[in-house]
Amino acid sequence: MLKPEAAFHLGPELERALNRMDFFRLFKALAGSHDYQYFALAEVLGEEDAFDLHLPYSLHNIPDVWIDGGRGGIEHKDPMVEHLRGSTVACSMDAQDSSSALCRSGRVNSAVVIPLQTAAGKRFGLLMLGNAQRPRHDQLAVIAHDAAVVFQRYFEAILSLDSISGLNDREIQIVRWTSEGKTSVEIAIILGLSEHTVNSYIAAILRKLHVVNRAQMVAFALRSGLIN
Amino acid sequence: MNADSEKSELVVLLVDDDPVEHTILKRKLASMDRASIRLEYVSNISAAVDRVKRAGIDLVFLDNRLAPNNDFRETAPQLRHAGFVGPIGIISSDISGAYFREFPEYGVDFRIGKDEIDGAAISFILSEYTRDQLSETCAEDFL
Repeated sequence: MLKPEAAFHLGPELERALNRMDFFRLFKALAGSHDYQYFALAEVLGEEDAFDLHLPYSLHNIPDVWIDGGRGGIEHKDPMVEHLRGSTVACSMDAQDSSSALCRSGRVNSAVVIPLQTAAGKRFGLLMLGNAQRPRHDQLAVIAHDAAVVFQRYFEAILSLDSISGLNDREIQIVRWTSEGKTSVEIAIILGLSEHTVNSYIAAILRKLHVVNRAQMVAFALRSGLIN
Repeated sequence: MNADSEKSELVVLLVDDDPVEHTILKRKLASMDRASIRLEYVSNISAAVDRVKRAGIDLVFLDNRLAPNNDFRETAPQLRHAGFVGPIGIISSDISGAYFREFPEYGVDFRIGKDEIDGAAISFILSEYTRDQLSETCAEDFL
């Protein structure tokens, strides 16, 4: 049953979520609210591609040693990954009967597999694993809906940012300081941020401008008049 | 994080005026598979500023409310002014206040409720804030 006023992941924290850490907390709370201990969110790629939990937009709390020997991917033949590629409907699996190596590694009882799609048409998948009882049809519908709500917010706050044309004020500041020869650490000190945050901004700028390094970033910004 | 992200030990600084939180976090870290985390503790922001100035801190967990009545909007900038460029996470018993949304403006990297901190959350935080977000072609061209 939907209880938005009681569910952490559907309450005010959903609207306040700003970064990957916030969404890690929300997806973890989502899984926990349905008695699943583990979750994994990643993009669904090609037929031969693993479900890669090390990609920039992936989120998970699955122990690394369970995932393809620590390499970060759930193999493409895993039944959960196959379901994500071939279906748009959520399903549940009895992990004991499944041939999923991940389920066997984790010694979990059940799993829920939820295909998700962004407004831009990219396909993602959310897996939840744990010792919960396999959900009934109506319960599965609620789980899938909750997941879609949180994922939509993830799309709005994180996934869609790269498609926004133009740099925001902070990003322009960072390009400007970079053009003056400042390193990430120096820019962090100047702006009162962490080095990690500065590098996050630079990574976002590179994706937005379709360039590969700082020199190209500065050159592009100068040519296009973003900075003087 | 420290520039030397390949070193074996990560040093986490907890800033909290309640020493019980130190005990709790120490236990949580001890239960993780990851053995290479050293937890340091100070009880006030002045001591935290002194500690980060001596370098060697990779990550700070900063309690939102420090005596007498300062929240992260007063305390986190002090760490940044001291030259600390590692990640700062705000921890609190209650992060429901609307002002928490402003955390990026004050040099804070993330926030988490104290009851949410477990081994998985700490693992995520450590891997998230130690990973290289930029490719080798973006490496700064000086050493």
